[in-house]
This record gives sequence, C-alpha cells and structure tokens, in this order.
Amino acid sequence: MPVPAKDAAAWMGARGMLELQGLTRRFGATLAVDHVNLEVPAGQMVGVIGRSGAGKSTLLRMINRLAEPSSGRILAGGRDVTALQGRALREWRRDCAMVFQQFNLVQRLDVLTNVLIGRLAWQRGWRAAMVLVGARFTAEERAMALAALDRFGLAETALQRAETLSGGQQQRVAICRALLQQPRLVLADEPIASLDPRNAQVVMDALRDVNRRDGLTVLVNLHHLDTAREYCDRIVAMQAGKVVFDGLPGALTAERVRAIYGISEQEFAAEAEARQRAAAAPARLAMA
Amino acid sequence: MSAAPMSAADVAAWRARMPGAFGRDGRARALRLLGWAAFLLWLGWALWHFGFTPERLWNGLSGLATILRLMVPPSPGELWVDILQGLAESVAMAFLGTFIAALIAVPLGFLGAGNVVTNTLFRFSLRRVFDGFRGIDQLIWALAFVRAVGLGPLAGVLAIATADVAVLAKLNAEAIENAERRQVEGVTAAGGGFLARLRFGVLPQVLPVMLAQALYFFESNTRSAAILGVVGAGGIGLQISERIRVRHWDEVAFIILLMVATVAAIDWLSARLRRRMIGG
Repeated sequence: MPVPAKDAAAWMGARGMLELQGLTRRFGATLAVDHVNLEVPAGQMVGVIGRSGAGKSTLLRMINRLAEPSSGRILAGGRDVTALQGRALREWRRDCAMVFQQFNLVQRLDVLTNVLIGRLAWQRGWRAAMVLVGARFTAEERAMALAALDRFGLAETALQRAETLSGGQQQRVAICRALLQQPRLVLADEPIASLDPRNAQVVMDALRDVNRRDGLTVLVNLHHLDTAREYCDRIVAMQAGKVVFDGLPGALTAERVRAIYGISEQEFAAEAEARQRAAAAPARLAMA
Repeated sequence: MSAAPMSAADVAAWRARMPGAFGRDGRARALRLLGWAAFLLWLGWALWHFGFTPERLWNGLSGLATILRLMVPPSPGELWVDILQGLAESVAMAFLGTFIAALIAVPLGFLGAGNVVTNTLFRFSLRRVFDGFRGIDQLIWALAFVRAVGLGPLAGVLAIATADVAVLAKLNAEAIENAERRQVEGVTAAGGGFLARLRFGVLPQVLPVMLAQALYFFESNTRSAAILGVVGAGGIGLQISERIRVRHWDEVAFIILLMVATVAAIDWLSARLRRRMIGG
C-alpha cells in the first residue's frame, strides 16, 4: 500500500540510533551477555550470529525488556529505556517489535485478531476498554491488518484460526503483527530456525522487505552464516556472551570464522542444523 | 508502508473485499442488543419476583449476626465422641463412594470416547445416559437410597457413587478424546493391537488426569457428605442438623471448624499423592 512521502519522512525523523552500553546479563554464576557495546544506526539490517548459548537470544530479549539486564544501558534515540516502567515500558515494547522462533501466536484466535494484537499498545481510554471487552478494533485498524496480511499473501486466511496455518505462514502472520505495532525496529529471535529451507527464504525475504521498503531497523539472530551474509548489511558475531566480530558480511571470511570459533564453517553449519532439529521437535510436540 | 494509516477509500475497499473481518453488521448488532435487553428485563423480573429487596437483605444480615454471636466460642459439647464418629463416617463415605465411582468411570470413559468407540449410535446413547444420571443430584439419589437400603452410611456411599460415576465418566471420556494421536500411532506402528494401544498409547496420557479428578472429587464429596447426613444417609450431617434444631450453634461452629480442618488435610494429602504419582 502506498505511503504519503511526508509520513515516511516524519517516521524517519522519529527514529534514532539504538545504543547498547556495557549490557550484561548474569544467570547465577554464568555471564550470558558480557559487557556488550553496540551502536545500530536507524535502517540497518544486522545479523547476530553465534553458537548455541552465545547469548544472542538474551541480548535481543533484553532490548525488548523481556529479560532484565544485570547491568549496562540501552539507549534508543538518546533516551534511556533500561528502567522504563508501566505504560512507558509498554510503549517501548511497541516500538521494538519482537518476532520469535516459535512464532508465539495465540493458536485459538483467528489470524486477523493475532495481527491486531499489534495494535494493543496504541489503544487509549474508552477504546482500550472496547478492545478488552469485545475485541472492537476500528475499521481502519482492521483494514491495516488485512493490508499487511495481503502484502505477504495471507489476506484470505484472515478469519481462520492461527493453528490451521503452516509454520511459514504463522511466522509471516507474526511479522504482520510486528508491522501493526508501527515499530522503530524489529527484533527477530531465530525467526527461521523452526522452518524448512523454502519457508525460511520466504520469511527472510519478508524481513528484508520490511527493512528495505519500510526502512525499519532489523536485528535478526541467525545460526546460518550463509543466511546472515545474504540478507544482512552488517554481522555481529557473539561467543560466550561477548561480541567477537562486528563488520561487513564480506569481512567474515572462512578464516575469520575458524579464528573466532575454532571450527570450520561447515562444522558451524552442521552444529546449527543439529540444534535446530533438537529445538524444533519438542517445541512442536508441546504445542500439539 | 503496510502498517501506515489508511484512507477512507482503502478501508471501504477492504470492507467490500472481506466484510467478515469488520465484525457484525448493523442488523446483527441490533439483534444482539435486543437479546441483551430481553435478558436484563428477565433478570430484573426474577429479582423482583424473589423479593430481592435491600430491606430483606438487611434484615437477613441481622439474623446471621445473631447466629454468629451464638457460635462464639465454639464448643465440643458433651457428645463429642458422636461428633468424631460422624466425621470419620463422612470421610469414609466420601472415600468409598468416590473410589467406586472412579473405578467404574475408567471403562465407561473409554466407551464414551469418540476416538476409542467408533460406533456413533452406541456412543451417543451412552453419553445421553451419562447426561441423564448427571441431571439427578446427589441429594435425590441419597433420598432414594435411604428408602431402598435404609438409613445409614451405605445409602450415602451409594448416592455418592451413582451421582459421580456419570460425571467422572464424562470427564474421563473428554480427557481420552484429547489424548495425543501421534503417541498412539507410535504404538500402532510397532504392531500393538486395539487394547495395547489403549493400554500403552492412551492410558499413560490420561491416567494423571483421571487421578487428579478422582482426588478432587474425594475432597469435594467430603464436604457434600455433610449434607447427605441431613437426609438420613449417615455421617456428620445428622449431628449438625440435630444441633441446629436445638439451636446449639456453638457446637455447630465446632463441627464446622473440624470439617474445614478435615478438608484442608485431605487437600494436602491428595496434593502430595498427586505429586508422587504424577510428578510435578
């Protein structure tokens, strides 16, 4: 759907740089994330890579404040969001939309309502009550949701329950939900780890489209180096909670990978593959 | 941008393309409103008909206050041995009744589950029989069994068992229908027959649910066993109704406290049992 140029410009202005300063998270004695400093300019598509337990997930979840930092700060456009509470916190979460590995859609709600969940943090006063009681979103919001679904070829599924959709479709619905939040940035935590290669490509294309066309900053956790190289403007590699590489995809050569992780790129890929299968299988069973 | 504000024309276009996404239309909304209005009207009439006035509620409150005053301090009275006996009888009644009901409800549950018994007519009839039994309250069963087998705890046990067997069978059937198909498929693929599928594919999945329900019913029946005594089906209820008749509210209060303690103890015990047998 076409956007008036002045709106887009106003949005660009509202967005600022995301800065992580000494961000740290401890779980007992282990440091999941260890003094991470990172500056992400608006509009960048950043791939965060690393082996299992490198702290990628915790890093993203801290930005959305699903996990609390043990120390350090998160600044968005110069504003400290590390200690926000109540409505301010909900509005920050609205501004940094999250996409999960297991989609995290409400299975028994229809696709349309799942997408409209992205509008919850926008409701005020009387409207908020109407939405809580009867899911009375406005016609405009409904049309927005349908347009978002249509963009990823899902408009016809709007009135089906989310559980009737395939994994790839569900992840695209989750991206629609993220878009309806009208966020400044999108945090995608292993968005393709539970998908087959073809669906993975569709979902990564969708994320790139969101980045290129809507100009949103995208932070995406990946464990496939090839995917990261293909889609991202910049790659951040993590190991044991620390950032060990930060640069252009071209700079992350096979030698660099071996130097960082001590294993070849093929071994890295195989390990990611095995972990993906292990992670996906029990999660699906639990959902059924 | 896909999530940018929409113009009125865009909204209208989407409304024309997918009307179902925009909620009910004017007529459906008016009908709903009418339905609500009718319901509120009926509610108001019912309250008026039952004499639901603030005045009556206020007077009732003062009556309750009198009873509460008479209850303090609670006292065991002189016949406290009878009280303890009645309580033990009630617990025993509840346990036996629930135990019998739970045992019978296991096979009945399998027979009533759509994924086990594929004969629709048989299952449908069985489910309606369950419904019929459920429609009759424990108290009615108790009155019937007191006439049939005479006063005393046996009537209580039979009343509890008959009333609960249908409810437990229905709950079991639903648990069985919710059992996961893939686990059963694993047993089938390994060459398991019909009964082996039920025993190794379904039963392990539903047994924790069945046990939890039976334990909850045991606890709940200990409470309702007090009522059964009032109509002559044995247990603590008889002791309570006798004391209410002669207005010994302090002794009634003592019995109530004792029952609360008993139910709490059963709750604690069943929670431990559940953890041991189900884990978590």
